[in-house]
Amino acid sequence: MAELDRRDFLKLVSVSAGGAAAAGCSDHVEKLIPYVVQPEEIIPGKAIQYASTCLECPAACGLHVRTREGRPIKLEGNPEHPVNRGALCALGQASIGRTYHPDRYAKPRLRGAGGAYEEIGWDKATALLAEKLGAAGGRVRALTGELGPTLGSLFDRFLAAAGSSGGRLHYEPFGYEALREASRAVFGAGVRPIFDLEGADFVIDFGADSLETWLSPVEHARQIESAREVTSAEGREARLIYVGPRLSMTAGNADEWLPAKPGSEGILALAIARVAFDAVRSAGRPVGGDPGLLEGILAGFDAESVASRSGVPAETILRIGRAIAQAKRPAALPPGVALTSRRATATTAAVLILDAVVGAIGTTVLLPAEAAAAPEPASFREILKLVDAMASGQVAVLMLGGVNPVHSLPPGAGFADALAKVDFVVSFASLPDETSERAHLILPDHTPLESWGDAAPQPGVRSLVQPSVRPLFDTQALGDSLLQVGRAMGDSVAAQLPAGSFRSLVEAAWSGTDFRAALIRGGVFEAAPRGGALPVAASAARIEFKLPQFEEAGPYLVLPVPSPLLHDGRGANLSWLQETPDPVTKVAWQSWAEISHETAKALGVERGDVVAVETGFGRLELPALPRGGIRDEVIAIAIGQGHTVGHYASHDAEGRAGEARGVNVIALLPPLTDESGGRAWLTARAKVTATGAHARIAQLQFTDNQRKRQLAESVSLAALAAGDGAAHGEAHGGEHGSHEIRRPYDPVNDAVPESPYRWGMAIDLDRCTGCSACVVACSIENNVPQVGEEWVLRGRQMPWIRIERYLGDGEADLENGRRRPEDREKLGDVDVRHSPMMCQHCGAAPCEPVCPVLATYHTPEGLNGMIYNRCIGTRYCSNNCPYKVRRFNFFDYQIESWPEPMRLMLNPDVTVRGQGVMEKCTYCVQRIETARQDAKNAGHPIADGAITPACVQTCPTHALQFGNLKDPQSGVNQRIEGNPKRAYHALHVLNTRPGSTYLAKVSRGAEPEEGGHS
Amino acid sequence: MPDVLGIWNDPGDVAEAVTRLRGRGYTDLETYSPAPFTEVDDAAIEKPSRVRLFTLIGGLTGVVTGYAMTIWMANDWQIMLGGKPFSSIPPYTIIAFELTILFGGLMTLIGLLVFGRLPSTKIDPAYSARFSAEEFGVRVRCRERDVAEVEALMRGHHAKEVSLVGA
Amino acid sequence: MTPPPAESVAAMIRPVPRAPDSKVNRDLLAVMEGASLGYWALLGLSVAFVGLAGGIWIYQVYKGLGIAGYIHPVFWGAYIVTFVFWVGIAHAGTLISAILFLFRAKWRNAINRSAEAMTVIAVLTAAQFLGIHVGRIWKSYFILPYPNQRGLWVNFKSPLLWDTFAITTYATTSIVFLYVGLIPDLAIARDRAVGWRKLLYSVLSLGWQGTSRQWKSHNRSVLHLSGLATPLVLSVHSVVSWDFAVSIVPGWHATIFAPYFVAGAIFSGFAMVLTMMIPVRRIYGLEGYITNYHFENMSRFILLTSIIVAYAYGAEYFMAWYSGVESEQTAFYRRAFGPYWISTWTMILCNGVFPQLLWFKKLRTNVPFLFVLSVLINIGMWFERYVIIITGLSSEYDPAAWGIYTPSWYELGIVAGSFAFFAHLFLIFLKIFPVVAIAEVKEIAIHERSHAHAGEH
Repeated sequence: MAELDRRDFLKLVSVSAGGAAAAGCSDHVEKLIPYVVQPEEIIPGKAIQYASTCLECPAACGLHVRTREGRPIKLEGNPEHPVNRGALCALGQASIGRTYHPDRYAKPRLRGAGGAYEEIGWDKATALLAEKLGAAGGRVRALTGELGPTLGSLFDRFLAAAGSSGGRLHYEPFGYEALREASRAVFGAGVRPIFDLEGADFVIDFGADSLETWLSPVEHARQIESAREVTSAEGREARLIYVGPRLSMTAGNADEWLPAKPGSEGILALAIARVAFDAVRSAGRPVGGDPGLLEGILAGFDAESVASRSGVPAETILRIGRAIAQAKRPAALPPGVALTSRRATATTAAVLILDAVVGAIGTTVLLPAEAAAAPEPASFREILKLVDAMASGQVAVLMLGGVNPVHSLPPGAGFADALAKVDFVVSFASLPDETSERAHLILPDHTPLESWGDAAPQPGVRSLVQPSVRPLFDTQALGDSLLQVGRAMGDSVAAQLPAGSFRSLVEAAWSGTDFRAALIRGGVFEAAPRGGALPVAASAARIEFKLPQFEEAGPYLVLPVPSPLLHDGRGANLSWLQETPDPVTKVAWQSWAEISHETAKALGVERGDVVAVETGFGRLELPALPRGGIRDEVIAIAIGQGHTVGHYASHDAEGRAGEARGVNVIALLPPLTDESGGRAWLTARAKVTATGAHARIAQLQFTDNQRKRQLAESVSLAALAAGDGAAHGEAHGGEHGSHEIRRPYDPVNDAVPESPYRWGMAIDLDRCTGCSACVVACSIENNVPQVGEEWVLRGRQMPWIRIERYLGDGEADLENGRRRPEDREKLGDVDVRHSPMMCQHCGAAPCEPVCPVLATYHTPEGLNGMIYNRCIGTRYCSNNCPYKVRRFNFFDYQIESWPEPMRLMLNPDVTVRGQGVMEKCTYCVQRIETARQDAKNAGHPIADGAITPACVQTCPTHALQFGNLKDPQSGVNQRIEGNPKRAYHALHVLNTRPGSTYLAKVSRGAEPEEGGHS
Repeated sequence: MPDVLGIWNDPGDVAEAVTRLRGRGYTDLETYSPAPFTEVDDAAIEKPSRVRLFTLIGGLTGVVTGYAMTIWMANDWQIMLGGKPFSSIPPYTIIAFELTILFGGLMTLIGLLVFGRLPSTKIDPAYSARFSAEEFGVRVRCRERDVAEVEALMRGHHAKEVSLVGA
Repeated sequence: MTPPPAESVAAMIRPVPRAPDSKVNRDLLAVMEGASLGYWALLGLSVAFVGLAGGIWIYQVYKGLGIAGYIHPVFWGAYIVTFVFWVGIAHAGTLISAILFLFRAKWRNAINRSAEAMTVIAVLTAAQFLGIHVGRIWKSYFILPYPNQRGLWVNFKSPLLWDTFAITTYATTSIVFLYVGLIPDLAIARDRAVGWRKLLYSVLSLGWQGTSRQWKSHNRSVLHLSGLATPLVLSVHSVVSWDFAVSIVPGWHATIFAPYFVAGAIFSGFAMVLTMMIPVRRIYGLEGYITNYHFENMSRFILLTSIIVAYAYGAEYFMAWYSGVESEQTAFYRRAFGPYWISTWTMILCNGVFPQLLWFKKLRTNVPFLFVLSVLINIGMWFERYVIIITGLSSEYDPAAWGIYTPSWYELGIVAGSFAFFAHLFLIFLKIFPVVAIAEVKEIAIHERSHAHAGEH
């Protein structure tokens, strides 16, 4: 915006001319240059999909990379992939941004004497590294993330050839090492169990946060939510019980929340196991191990004693114990990151013992054979050993790839200092981060979209990574870099390395399979069982179950929460993940400290007041966010922020280079491990004091009280079973039955009568977990600008779809409208409703008649159309929209929101809106038109399911469904008709006759019904 | 023919004088008043001004245009808006009303110009700034031999001055 | 003797021999003569502010509306508030000229000219805000139903279209009304002016001579214009109020809006007349023409409309409570006790409470008090529109999408500029046109004189 370009000039001219005639042509003029030589299989205007794999986290979901004219523009889940079945999480959706990230390393870089980097050629870089390695005399180590089998083995071969003593360590900040160690202790098998929740009917989540970050979140979310699907035919619906000190996103989706004392999950599990043990025994069923052995283990853990130590009432323990014993396919999930204390292994073991007792081992909890198990990350202890080695100068060359330990290791581990002691650090990062910026040499890797590779996340799943775009910059695949360097080191080394390029290695690795088919399918997926069962081994008796102790520095226990969006922080440099609000607190772009209202009173702070959190290991200052859904002694801070490098991760873009965005909670934590060397997170108590400063929190939702306005409804299971919508009526004062709530589709003045289509959507609140993947998918598909922290604070965010989070039906209590935020959470009380809100495409749309220039109108197929070129920006339509889903372009976001080369990822099918026009959800009309074109070519009407808007496509739990309301057989109609008691229209009293129909959340209640499972 | 100009201070006298003069057949006369005085004006001209005709025509044109334009435009290209009928009379009535007023007002102005013989680039020689002060004037065009009678009539009705225009 | 040839207007352009002139003329034309230092200072100041606001506006067009304080979902802000405010101010003039004319309330003669002038100026001020408010001023001509190659017309169902027509009509009619009334006075000025003024007034007065025919048509026209303007003045603010009333926004969606807004408009209009005329009267010594009697009559109007407005406030709250609609109740509760309570209570005090003091005759004729009160009322009425528009939008149907708006400095700068714009046009008007309807004043004067005279007979 600095210099005055033609467009702005014309604007000014037209202004000073007092009129607009001059500006009639005030749009970018660009030349369209046709292909001189038309590439094969590229048809301009048609998208091509490439099957690949998402490498953002070890879950390795399958991808379909949607490319246009040779550029990836959107990532979608691979429907054939067994892990994600076509869905993607928010992180996966946003990961396309890495390839087009403005920060990307364009060439190899070498740090000069002054510390400043200079770009160098690949030959020089390769030669230099080869020389350093040669001189290192074996004192070579590598620290990498998950690389996949082929690249991983190549790396190890390379290190071996280079004579490395210690070799490579695979470092995952969220390593879940305790799982493997616990299963070794309990079953004598050192493998990480696989949790298959398909068809589970009773799930206890001991703080695993299984819907957010744990192991394979997309997979688990799908499994849990489909297991909970209420089909009136057979009332098979899984209970989900959450144990943890904080009302997390997963807790919000549970039927029951036990806010147990943090650290007491293990003994709680044992107490439940003991109740279940008796029940199972009396039912004459096997207990998954030697009864005597188990009895011995469980001896000390009677409900009463545990109740006092865990804060969970004895009767609750008894009730749950009996219920889980009755379940056919129960599953207990051990703690994830947040609750891994210094006794994480024992806690995990306790949960696995519970699984064994209730017969979950072999059904929902599978123990794969050692050989078939996925490669495990190194334990935290080994990482610390490496740091010591570095510090003591035993490492001459350190190779870093896909890891950011400077950010993700506790400062106490001293990694940064140790790194300075390494003679030569080489990083293969493709984007700068705190670690790569400390390297001497940077050999930029391709991004996954530019690379070959593979992944084997689970037994029976071999997933392929193939490039879908020619590398944007002068980068080189990590594999090829290794091969080049190896060859440059001389024949002795080269001889030990495979010939050819890394791509040929991948092909060789897949030689046993039909490679072409794999390229098309995205991998090889076998239906073979992924693991079996083992009895509880005698070694289990030697585990000592005790409450963990914490590093005492104050009264408040620091709970480091993995961010459902930023994961361990790897998502922090993706603008979509920063701007999408946290599913629980609805805060974007920032860090915040969750404390209970009691604690806030005690500290004398209110929302936004900056508190200082101090442990023996670090001190942080960040704004407090008091809420009801958290234990008084806990202060929860999300992991992932606090980066000092990166366009969106830090404040670089705002010209405050080096300034961290938010805080990095890891800085508060000691470098401690659990009994078996796994990383411990829940380790420190902190002193919390008010600083007197105040900060504005970018919280995008005003209140969680929907004031009985029927935005997010719920139906009790009893009411559904009884087959009446009465309870549905009760929800809002009994004045409506469900039949009134629901407006049957009414075509009057809605779509042209002879038009065969009226597009509509079904939104199942019972399946929506609030994960916000749809928000990111929508923003990327529709070129929705990301406006940044400053403007989000001023309410200028642009998302076409938002996830609203309400507690219960709310109350119409006027007093509540006064103060912000209005927080109605209560400890142990969980009735959270996540409700996706986008344009409802009303039949009687209030926005349409008020537009003076017909810029928004009704299409013959019932869409609420929005014509950007016609809009003059009176904003009346937004005023009159009861759902508040319209967004206004207050500025010309085209430049700021897509810095070079990001504009290359803009979806060419969607207009990039200019300054001063209104915009909103279109049901992805561009996809409707594509489908219409294909159908026309094929000469048949648009088939049901041929159109999937971006949000529908990516939803891990299939909460959204799109289709033709005029076709009684369409999936969307079937789904609405199939749930007559749950279907309703948001704010139906306004009679807007929306195209979107919501399906009310099912409140299953805490008490599991006996009949429910038979 | 000579123009006789009489000057008064009081509108009542002017009215009487004018009535009398016209009664005696001196119909070619003109009055000048500093402000509207119905007695004077009515004495000079009986028929009410026909400005109202213009107002009426303007108003009718407005209301017809209002409805015609809105309904035609809405149906020229039928665009669905919030499930409302294309020709919805209530909102269009507002447009029709406004145009009624607009056209009516403008036509009234035109009426004023037409019937007030405005704008006129010529000023009667008989006119003087006194009449835009607080005095009244009556100009009578008569034959030479009637001048004396006219003067007598004027003086008879308290004209404070009588003179021959241009003399 | 043969009649000499008629002289042309040009020939008239020489100082007339000092004809016996009237005191009325001298007094009232004196206002237009010479300008004091204070006048120039005031004019310079207001022009400077207009310039500043213009600068801000150009920056806003260049950078985007984002420089204003809008926050989702509050997409209407200070601009629309000020637009409604000025349209309201524009109501006194036509009301005084038209309705009081029809009611033969002769006391209006002293103030109708200035009131009409204010009307025209206020409408012009208001109209600008429609342009300032929209996101793409350079495309705003889309709102006109002109034939185009798209074959696309406009949406006459939209209240904004009604606005466009209502404001245009009102501006045009008010200007016609003002001009028609001015013609005789311009003639008076013409007969006494010299130099460029002579030329100006000669042209503008269209050669008016005050003949019977002219006066007859003139009376008729004024009568008909009054007849047309009376429903118009009542309709304009009704239409503006429908911008809000026909929407579904809680706090906007109320049938009481039309009368409520019209009353408020007249209320604020009269207040503004007082605010402007009290100093003018003082400075140009017009006490003989604009007497306390006029001020008292206006005070009565202010009192009446204030009561109506106060009733409307009460009625809104009553309906919110009586309807039992939670969203309405919440909106009004937040109005009074929510984040905007200051604006709300300012509005209630200035518009509903303070004017009740006018029950006392002493205060009705106490000019300094009237001045202070009129200023307070102007403030109160601006806040009334602020309260209605902003609180309505800030807490609508979806609590997850509530937001709290505060105007930015840029916005306030433009709002201040609008007051300067109004002031500088009024100052210019003072010096170019008779600020009191001379002919109409004379009409009364002469009548009284002649009746006294008749008494002597």
